[in-house]
Amino acid sequence: MKILLIEDDREAANYIIKALEEAGHVTHHASDGETGLAMASSMDYDVLVVDRMLPRRDGLSVIEALRTDNVATPVLILSALGEVDDRVTGLRAGGDDYLTKPYAFSELLARIEVLARRSSPAEAATSYQVGDLTLDRLSRKVDRAGEPIQLQPREFRLLEFLMKHAGQVVTRTMLLENVWDYHFDPQTNVIDVHMSRLRAKIDRGKTTPLLHTVRGAGYMIRE
Amino acid sequence: MNSLFRLLRTTTFRLTVVFVVIFVIFAVAVLGYAAYQASIQVQQQQIAAIERELNTLAAQYRLRGTAGLIQAIQRFAQGPGPGIYYVTDPNGFPIAGNVLDVPADVLQHPGQHTFAYERDRPFAEGESADMTRGVAFVRSFVLPSGVRLVVGRDIVERRSFGGIIVQAFFWGVAMIVVFGVVAGAMSARRVLSRIDSITGTSEAIMSGNLSERVPVTQRNDEFDRLATSLNAMLDRIEHLMAGLKAVTDNIAHDLKTPLTRLRNRLEGAMRDGDNPSSSAEALESAIEESERLIATFNALLLIARVEAGSTAGLFEPVDVADIVTDVAELYQPVAEDAGLALKVEAASHVMVRASRELVSQALVNLVENAIKYAPPSQSSEPVVEIRVIEQGADVVLEVADHGPGIAAADRQRVLERFVRLDEARAEAGSGLGLSLVAAVAHLHNGRVEIEDNNPGARLRLVLPVHPTS
Repeated sequence: MKILLIEDDREAANYIIKALEEAGHVTHHASDGETGLAMASSMDYDVLVVDRMLPRRDGLSVIEALRTDNVATPVLILSALGEVDDRVTGLRAGGDDYLTKPYAFSELLARIEVLARRSSPAEAATSYQVGDLTLDRLSRKVDRAGEPIQLQPREFRLLEFLMKHAGQVVTRTMLLENVWDYHFDPQTNVIDVHMSRLRAKIDRGKTTPLLHTVRGAGYMIRE
Repeated sequence: MNSLFRLLRTTTFRLTVVFVVIFVIFAVAVLGYAAYQASIQVQQQQIAAIERELNTLAAQYRLRGTAGLIQAIQRFAQGPGPGIYYVTDPNGFPIAGNVLDVPADVLQHPGQHTFAYERDRPFAEGESADMTRGVAFVRSFVLPSGVRLVVGRDIVERRSFGGIIVQAFFWGVAMIVVFGVVAGAMSARRVLSRIDSITGTSEAIMSGNLSERVPVTQRNDEFDRLATSLNAMLDRIEHLMAGLKAVTDNIAHDLKTPLTRLRNRLEGAMRDGDNPSSSAEALESAIEESERLIATFNALLLIARVEAGSTAGLFEPVDVADIVTDVAELYQPVAEDAGLALKVEAASHVMVRASRELVSQALVNLVENAIKYAPPSQSSEPVVEIRVIEQGADVVLEVADHGPGIAAADRQRVLERFVRLDEARAEAGSGLGLSLVAAVAHLHNGRVEIEDNNPGARLRLVLPVHPTS
């Protein structure tokens, strides 16, 4: 995957580049808004990671300029401003996701990978399949190896989100945002409790578990 | 001298001066107009008198000829008063009159004239000799026989009337100025002393004594109103300053402690450099510690922003019942794992203008607290109840547990930042949960009520349906 990071903090940028390269992604770097805009318009990237406050041209204006030029590359905004209204402004400017500093690298990586695959056909699919687990989005039915599984509406949405991003790490914060529409982190491990319930319904008594916990990052559903 | 200067520089005094000047101009204008009208009146009376005398003299002349005229003139001239009479023969030689000389010009050109003259004697007995000089306003007249007749009035008298008026002017103006300035200085001094007391208070406050207050008199005038409102403002500032101080103290303590722990762990990891497994463990716990710090920091920032009211723009009509249902659904499994039942009592569609995100977070904090601090025990019912109660113009979100409860003495205190009751020290937490609930309540013009649930705690987030009204 080819990623462009537009970030003026040299140290943070170096760390992110190194970690992204280790995760197997080609990463380019621009340290100001103008350079970033030029690079993003002239080359094909899978994901742009844009800091909100940049020298020469601020991050939101870079995104707006790209969207005006019909560059549809998914954008992840990094910002120290984390309130709901800041987030709304960022997404309105054309950003696809918003991550507040300071963040864990695993969170950044998970979000980048999810963003990069947004344009894949899975987005529009009417049913998802992981191993012998099937989820039908229209009839809202789930079964594993032909056996129907009864899920609560929220559990269904949780599983739907996981299966939509099958093979990708999904963080707890992403689940809270996408399944519950909460943009704050509760103190208790409330997501873990829900996940263990879901896991009990899907994996209990099965030889091959599908729902995996990724240590220090989140969850993943895969064969 | 200095205090006099200060007095003269006050607004009150300046206003007084302006008013005095305006009054003086006004008085001068009124008096001047009156004097002008009066002098015209006097002049007209004199002209009329002269006219009458001329008619009398002309009648005498017609009846008795030149001799009668001269006799009449002499009779007039003998009488007291400012009359001026003068008769010459056709050659200009004086025959009768009470003035020594009349300019040839006046004699030769009949009509009205004004000239300086000298009389043969004073107008009245006892007047000094120099009073024989004067200014005359006359009419000269040539009789058919060629005799020239001059009849007039001394206008020095009229001028002295003008002098009286000018004098009245002077005294009047002087009195206005003196009284005005004195009154102005007195009221300026009064105002100045009130202002000085306010200035003194503000200086005391600026030098650090925040408890100083502006004295309020019993007069209930505009200064008292100002002083009362200033004092109210000072109370608020003092309260905020105290709050700020408490917060900085708390931040110093509650952020420094975990920072120190973090540092200690990292140092430990460095010392144990040879042992990869124990240093990895230390690094992991350091990351956890830093995550807790970030969470505390975020919570603090959020509280500060909510308290500053900068998130009020996010208000929208929200269904509180939905918020409660969502939060309850999120925490149902957590509560069950903790051995508690989570019960919800809410009518559907309880609309409130609020921020969904903030009210949700406040409710999450309340529910987390209830689950955390109300462990099931033999003696109490293991249940946490969430209720939505419509109460007049308010909607109440109530979270009740059957845990140990909060002692009456601590109920106000737990809403403050970083306050953790001793019973709660063992549990993880930042001591910011209820502070955020209080801040969210405040942002929505609502309040937090803490009651006894007999046993347990009942926390009520009271939100007005229309937070702005």
